[in-house]
Amino acid sequence: MAKVEALPYDDKTVYSVAAFNRGVAQWLGRLPTVWVEGEVTELRRHDRWASVFFTLKDPADGSCVGVTMPRGQFDGLRLDLQDGERVHVYGRPELFEKRGDFRLRALSIQRFGIGAHLAALERLKAKLAAEGLFAQERKRPLPFLPRCIGLVTGNDAAAKRDVLTTIQTRFPPAHVVVAETYVQGPRAALGIIDALSALCARDDVDVIVLARGGGSFEDLLPFSDERLVRAIAACPVPVVSGVGHEQDTPLCDFVADRRASTPTMAGKLVVPDLAEVLRHLESARTSLARGVRRTVDRDVQSLERAHERLRRAPALLVERKQARLEAAKGRLTALSPKATLRRGYAIVRRDGAVVSRVAVGERVDVELAEGGFGARVEETHG
Amino acid sequence: MAERTFEEAQAELEQIVARLEKGEASLDEALALWEKGEELYAYCRAKLDAAEGKVEELARRVEEARP
Repeated sequence: MAKVEALPYDDKTVYSVAAFNRGVAQWLGRLPTVWVEGEVTELRRHDRWASVFFTLKDPADGSCVGVTMPRGQFDGLRLDLQDGERVHVYGRPELFEKRGDFRLRALSIQRFGIGAHLAALERLKAKLAAEGLFAQERKRPLPFLPRCIGLVTGNDAAAKRDVLTTIQTRFPPAHVVVAETYVQGPRAALGIIDALSALCARDDVDVIVLARGGGSFEDLLPFSDERLVRAIAACPVPVVSGVGHEQDTPLCDFVADRRASTPTMAGKLVVPDLAEVLRHLESARTSLARGVRRTVDRDVQSLERAHERLRRAPALLVERKQARLEAAKGRLTALSPKATLRRGYAIVRRDGAVVSRVAVGERVDVELAEGGFGARVEETHG
Repeated sequence: MAERTFEEAQAELEQIVARLEKGEASLDEALALWEKGEELYAYCRAKLDAAEGKVEELARRVEEARP
């Protein structure tokens, strides 16, 4: 290890640039070898160069560090890295003394494996959930009839055809604006974000569908990108996510206002089925007419019943009055003297007037229950 | 009687019928009630006939408008 020598100037100790850099480099050299995670950007590899260079970027806040690796070693890894790929770099900090450049000297590079992706996704999911980005209260209802539907999809994707076909079949007058973008690979996340904001810039777009067909776990990774998830959360109109198949749940599914299991389902969510709407309307109209008819029929029946009772009531009343009259007549008859006569009594009249006493020799008329007779009084008693 | 509703007229008719059926009214009163009841019936019937006519008319228009 080269010695770092200082030059004495009176009371100061002054280092040359080379000595300073060497000193820092030696100090850095004592730091341990570590794994660093980040996205590969600005990858520069040239057959004439001894080393490969790239910048490792922290996707969370954009912090950067330069990475260098001997070209032979890099080629030996056969990673075929592309800009935007997530990697783990095993290396130690190093100072390129000639330029005072601090960088990470890579001893090994691993492409981010599925396990690492899953762990990172779980962490991100937990973090965003804790922020409330997936909360049910944030979900907005979809418009019943959107003026214009924004569709973010790949340029010749089957997903695009599925969504468009579904929308046009269900609701032929629907208006769809398509924003095509990359839907996989390192540039997809930013591409989709740009497409979203382009659609949001139009003031007639009422809902946006994010559609992508099924793909491998890695293919769908851009749809779990934190930047995209935040862009969907911030989108001024409701977003429907129709990404992958039923079993795929990229994070955009959690943040979207509605999640569709497939692009076709997403198409179904954004427009009503016109034929079905018309059928409902028609059946409502039919039941409306039926309801009015039923009401009128019911009223007619109850009115006719009341009328029938009204028609019969006076006759019943007269009948009842007659019966009472007959009863009174019966009682009247019962009270008449005739009934008394029938029990053996007789009425005695003199010159037509009922008498209560008679004298011998008087001429009287006697009335019996059946007929009567004339008589002369022969003797009196009492 | 023109301003009363069908339901009001129908309710009064029902009351008159109930009163007559109880048989407590005097004969003169009963005859007056009967007359009044018939009047109410005629009024209600006319209203229902008009309603039925309107229902048929609307149903025919719906049928004609159907594609």
